[in-house]
Amino acid sequence: MFSKEQVVELTRSTKFRVLVIAIMISAVVPLVIGDPFLVHVMTLVAIFSIYASSWNLLANSGQGSLGHAAFLGVGGFASSLLAINFGIPPIIGILIGAAFSAGIGFLIGLTCVRLEAWFLAMVTFGFSVIAETLVSQFDEVTHGVLGFRTPLLVPSGLPFYYFAVALATTSIVIMYLIMKSKTGLAFRAIRQNVAEAGMIGINTAKYKLYAFVISTFFAGLAGGLYAHFLRYISVTIFAAENSFKPLMMSVIGGLGSMEGPIIGSMIIVAIDSLLPNIDKFLQPVMSPLFPAVSNVGPPLRLIGLGLFLVMIVIFFPKGVSSLIRKVYNYLKK
Amino acid sequence: MIDTSTIILTLIWGVAIGSIYVLLATGLNLIFGVMKLVNFAHGELLMIGAYIGFSVWTALGVNAYIAVFLSMGLVALIGIAVERLCFRRVLGEDKLNEIFVSLGLIFIFDNVAVLLWGEKSKRIISPFENMSLALGELSISYDWIIAMLFVVVILVFLVLLIRKTKIGMAMRATSQRSQASMLMGINIERIYIFTFALGAALAGAAGVLYGMIFPFNPYIGALPTIKAFAIIILGGLGSIPGAIIGGLLYGIAEQSAVIFLGGIWRNAIAFSVLIIVLVLRPKGLFGKKGE
Repeated sequence: MFSKEQVVELTRSTKFRVLVIAIMISAVVPLVIGDPFLVHVMTLVAIFSIYASSWNLLANSGQGSLGHAAFLGVGGFASSLLAINFGIPPIIGILIGAAFSAGIGFLIGLTCVRLEAWFLAMVTFGFSVIAETLVSQFDEVTHGVLGFRTPLLVPSGLPFYYFAVALATTSIVIMYLIMKSKTGLAFRAIRQNVAEAGMIGINTAKYKLYAFVISTFFAGLAGGLYAHFLRYISVTIFAAENSFKPLMMSVIGGLGSMEGPIIGSMIIVAIDSLLPNIDKFLQPVMSPLFPAVSNVGPPLRLIGLGLFLVMIVIFFPKGVSSLIRKVYNYLKK
Repeated sequence: MIDTSTIILTLIWGVAIGSIYVLLATGLNLIFGVMKLVNFAHGELLMIGAYIGFSVWTALGVNAYIAVFLSMGLVALIGIAVERLCFRRVLGEDKLNEIFVSLGLIFIFDNVAVLLWGEKSKRIISPFENMSLALGELSISYDWIIAMLFVVVILVFLVLLIRKTKIGMAMRATSQRSQASMLMGINIERIYIFTFALGAALAGAAGVLYGMIFPFNPYIGALPTIKAFAIIILGGLGSIPGAIIGGLLYGIAEQSAVIFLGGIWRNAIAFSVLIIVLVLRPKGLFGKKGE
């Protein structure tokens, strides 16, 4: 797929060095600080990096999905159910779950590739609601309504963290290489202009389907990892919130870049996990203003997140990573 | 057992609920037709409309049906703010950006509603609560009849506005060729604001009527948006008669699914309709080919 020169060039690039440094930091930090909560948060970042990157890859082929939670859930349920019913070790189970998710992604992709952007967004959102309904309907098979305890993948804590980081690095590098290959070039051409891409001889439907299958594979992988990390899965995994998260992560981090979804998942996971700490300071100040709610923290955070998203789209369409890049280029001068 | 009266009642329910969706879908359709913008946060305007109706009804103690008009006005103002501050800046760029902005707006609207009104479900009690018209075995609640009348009156006014007035003509011109109409001296920015405000007002009216039939909470906005979408796709993008027929058909389909398949299918049916239509006709049922 790649010539030797390309590989050499790749290893000399700034991006590669940043990647190596980032992996080293993420390997060392939990050893130095060792706070279990920090390890928990960093594992979540790793899982959501895979998930957000998979969404980002699909968006890079011009298809903005609003229902990626369907694949997160399918991957999670498939691998957990395989482990419980057939005793398949979760480490293989998450791969089967990912493949299963990709299979469903293929079928859904068949219906989606010919749709325009807003239709596609609606239809994918619809599939996540249908998936939720089906999982609730066939509760005897899925046990989804009440949820169940998922088996152990790797011992929780540091081992799971390193496993998640290794898997995230591998997945993201694979996705990056795909985006750099000829296939990825076709994806980007389609994103810029479908009609023109078709005119220069790209089979747009075929490549959009490729993007769908690749993206749903990694979303399913993230889902399996997520289910085994939380040690619990229920139908709530299909919630719209989980569909919107990868979108926000990619857009806030920087749409279309490799580092964007990673930075975005750091920001969103940090907001979700660390900011609740300030609720107890916020509560006495704000609650007299809003007597209708018992806890003002979560809605205020989400309003902030919404404003942040809108402002990023309007003022920095390339996300936070473009800002970092600007600062880096400035310092280099 | 399923007898004739159940079927007739299902049809009437379907038409009543469908007519509320028609209002929402018409607003969405209008905005799409003129601005080529898809506002995924349109259902949030319905939700805000329902809460405004609720507040007007509880605070001022006025008849809940008068609240419909106040809600229309206030939601139109919110619509103007949203158009000027958010959508104006991303219009005509990447389609994905419009989706992202709408998503951000959904977060903002939902949680502002949580802060102001709390998460508990609320309902607007109409003056005709528990009163119904008896027709043989059937009894039809007055609220549904009034809701349907409201929708008919609003739609008649809307069609007259679009067909007979100067600004309606300008809207039609902008929807056909925005650049050419700009050259003809139409201030299309003003047309955009007006269209968005009109669409928002329809959503506001739909909100109060919705709040009289169903209980609502800050999170109800998303599903009506999608249902309105399914309706637009059924009826054809940009076509008002299409939206009306699509809305009524959709309401009947949804009620039938609830009665015959069970309550959890209420929402999944929306998407099944949407997906089946889109698979067969990727541009929508009456969409133009080869755009």
